[in-house]
Amino acid sequence: MSERTVSPMRSAGAAPDRPAYGPAPSNLADVLERVLDKGIVIAGDIQVNLLDIELLTVKIRLLVVSVDKAAELGIDWWRTDPMLSSEARDRELADENERLRARLRELEAAPAESGQ
Amino acid sequence: MSAPARYVFAVARDLQVAELAGTHGFHGATIDVVEHEGLSAVVCDVDLEEFGEEPLTRNLEDLAWVERVARTHNEVVWMVAAVSTCAPLRLVTVCADDDSVRAKVDSLRSDLEDVLDRIEGRQEWSVKVLVPQRPVAESPRATPAASGADYLRRKREASDRRRDLTEEAVDAAREVHEVAHDHAVASRRLMPQDPRLTGRTETMVLNAAYLVEAQEHEAFTAALHAAGEQHPLVTVEVEGPWPAYSFAVLG
Repeated sequence: MSERTVSPMRSAGAAPDRPAYGPAPSNLADVLERVLDKGIVIAGDIQVNLLDIELLTVKIRLLVVSVDKAAELGIDWWRTDPMLSSEARDRELADENERLRARLRELEAAPAESGQ
Repeated sequence: MSAPARYVFAVARDLQVAELAGTHGFHGATIDVVEHEGLSAVVCDVDLEEFGEEPLTRNLEDLAWVERVARTHNEVVWMVAAVSTCAPLRLVTVCADDDSVRAKVDSLRSDLEDVLDRIEGRQEWSVKVLVPQRPVAESPRATPAASGADYLRRKREASDRRRDLTEEAVDAAREVHEVAHDHAVASRRLMPQDPRLTGRTETMVLNAAYLVEAQEHEAFTAALHAAGEQHPLVTVEVEGPWPAYSFAVLG
């Protein structure tokens, strides 16, 4: 057994042999790459498909910080990614409709122009 | 709460439960310690309606849920590491009850002791090297190309400048890694992080974790600061100390 004496001050950084820990990273990428990908793997009683966890790390590449924080930081590319948001899908449809309408107007105008 | 199970955050050595007062698990759950022959599994109750097999499969698809759980998991690990030698477990390790937790700790006992021996008195540091995304400078006189050959020559020069920048960044990353590695007992290269996840515009050319003796941390950070000054092109980010996640691996 260790002879280390336990002091409630330790967490405040008083231990001479162990500097206080730095603040936990606020960067979600730092947190996730450790809690999902590193650490001891013990098979619990609840089966977690490890493939799910691996897929998750891939999916997380598509995730920006938290939704609230992302909006706060003005990061909202995912709002316009058709894979991720139905709003974006709707907008894409609207855009496509607009493009088709414009093309139709062009085609309808074309014979008149060539006739002039 | 229906059908509580035990969520395991970490396995620790030399841990006093009283030191974890004020730390909470998910939804404010009390943190408990399951002792087994000198090893302490840090656990809390979780509801199987949230952490059962089927809900978990669903919840892991919900990135907001994953973030919440990941941050709580991380906070508990942080507190445990501050007051013990701590081997963090991977996210969402759930056992039926304390007897099951003990049985699993028992079956991995010697491996867990090896891991704890490896990280005792040591801490993890994160080192990243980033290159600012700046446009390649145009030649001073931005006049139109005089000829096709002139145009091609300019294209080649711009491409050379880009390549030089990349090569310098890669050299800097290699050098920073070597310096950090020399001051560490172990190192692991991690995947560069996606700028969409970090919200940063720079390109990450090094993302690595180093296991450093607690009493060596000042020499470690000083050496990296000096290495950073040698390479003004890149930004060297040193963060820590963190619990030894990247080095708490079995086998």
